[in-house]
Amino acid sequence: MSEVKRRVTWMHIVTFAFATAISYVLAVVSSLIFPVLGAPGVSALYVASAIYVPLGVWMGLWGALAGYLSCFFLGLYPSGYSVVQSLIWSVADFIEAFIPALIYRAMRVDPDFRAKRPWAAKMLPLFISTGTVLLLIGMTVQILWGATYGEPFTTAYVVLVYVGSALAAIGIVMGLLAGDVRTWMAQILSIVSAAFCSGLWGAGTLTVFNLPPPLPAELFWPIFVGWVLSDLIVLSVIGTALLVALTPVFKRTGLLVRGWWA
Amino acid sequence: MPTILGELAGVEATSPEYMRLHVLSKLALPLSISISILFVKDPASALSLVLIAGLACKAAGIPLSSIKKYLAVIVSMSSFIVLSFALFTRMPGKVLYEATLYKFKAEKGVFEWTIEVTDTSLTYASVFILRIFAMVLSAILLLGTVTDRDLIWGLRSLKLPFGACVAASLFFRGIQFFVADFNTIREAMMARGVDFAKISLARKFLLYINALIPLLSLMITRSYEVSLALEARGIAPSSRALSSYHRYGLSHSDYIVLVLSLSLSLAYILWWWLL
Repeated sequence: MSEVKRRVTWMHIVTFAFATAISYVLAVVSSLIFPVLGAPGVSALYVASAIYVPLGVWMGLWGALAGYLSCFFLGLYPSGYSVVQSLIWSVADFIEAFIPALIYRAMRVDPDFRAKRPWAAKMLPLFISTGTVLLLIGMTVQILWGATYGEPFTTAYVVLVYVGSALAAIGIVMGLLAGDVRTWMAQILSIVSAAFCSGLWGAGTLTVFNLPPPLPAELFWPIFVGWVLSDLIVLSVIGTALLVALTPVFKRTGLLVRGWWA
Repeated sequence: MPTILGELAGVEATSPEYMRLHVLSKLALPLSISISILFVKDPASALSLVLIAGLACKAAGIPLSSIKKYLAVIVSMSSFIVLSFALFTRMPGKVLYEATLYKFKAEKGVFEWTIEVTDTSLTYASVFILRIFAMVLSAILLLGTVTDRDLIWGLRSLKLPFGACVAASLFFRGIQFFVADFNTIREAMMARGVDFAKISLARKFLLYINALIPLLSLMITRSYEVSLALEARGIAPSSRALSSYHRYGLSHSDYIVLVLSLSLSLAYILWWWLL
């Protein structure tokens, strides 16, 4: 039997437009209430990513586009970046929603967030976020100081990496216990890789490679760590909660996009 | 019709001549300022660009006091630029101030964290800070002069499909819908005894996060209604407008602004090349 050809409908376009508006408002509110000082538009709790990243899982490239446009407008107001800087910087939020969309599609996951063991689903974000943050801090210490000065930075690096890896591993085991293994594995991979990749682009374009970067290159590490930390917390706690609560709604209304656009 | 910055922050361009310009001209001037920022390398060129951006805002009738809306951005970025040049960088040049904050013997040498201010670091910091002013003024000029109707007419004049035009329009309307929905949910919470003036920031944050699920559910319901309305009118996302009630052509003033914008970028490229 031939497969029915899926087309872009008004429902996709309208939901995308409204989601972009919500993401923009939340982005402004987050960057004003929880700012990373010195880096306008970067927030210690960037709640907007909890909207467009799940939207990437549900609606593919519509979510990535919502992330890009909301971040572009955030760059202009209230962050005050120029049009060119904002056009380049916003790719960070496109990446952030695109990576989960890519992971779910590459792994051919039909999102099923029904939790068989709710305690495991609740504890998972805590372990994954804390473990990844410790790993990140350990790597930062080693790159900035350990490689040049040796001890005591090397010991701090080793301890942080071991503890971080152990916590992340516990988180992964909890993911296996929480419910549908493929869904939760895709979710864990999405959270970690989206936070790292968007952090690299976001902090990089603010400090190292924009036209021109608005901030000095020396601020790369503080902004990168703040960015990744914020994304890990928001994506694992709020983003996962929204995926659990609203995936059935998206499936029921036919809004769930199987391909990239439809 | 309020401009984008007018809707967001109450800042409007008041010059009728500027507001009559084609959206292409309104986009070209701030874009040209942002391209010029790239070629700013010394305090003199940075300062001149700030003045030009300020004059452009003045010509558009945007009060320069609107920069106050970006005060937090300017203060936080400037202070962090100064701190990063003093605390994390050692720039060659005449040392004006030096102090050691922390020092200890590590395995491979002595780890030292010092504050060092040189004349070169001050020059670099001033260029970065002046760039921020130029950047903020270009953003004010763009958002303070472009209305959402400008953008939609612009998209229609480019013969883009209705899907793109409706999405652009709904994005701007969506901001107001979302704020109204959020206020409704906030009032519902207050009716159930939540006192937002007294609760802690962490509790307030948790409550707002809980509001996201009903907000997204409302978004889906509203999307469904709007989509049905569009489909009921027989409009397909890929269809294009064959006729328009609005003529949107370029005037002489537009050509002048476009030439000025191009010249501005070229002048800064030349200045950068000659430096």
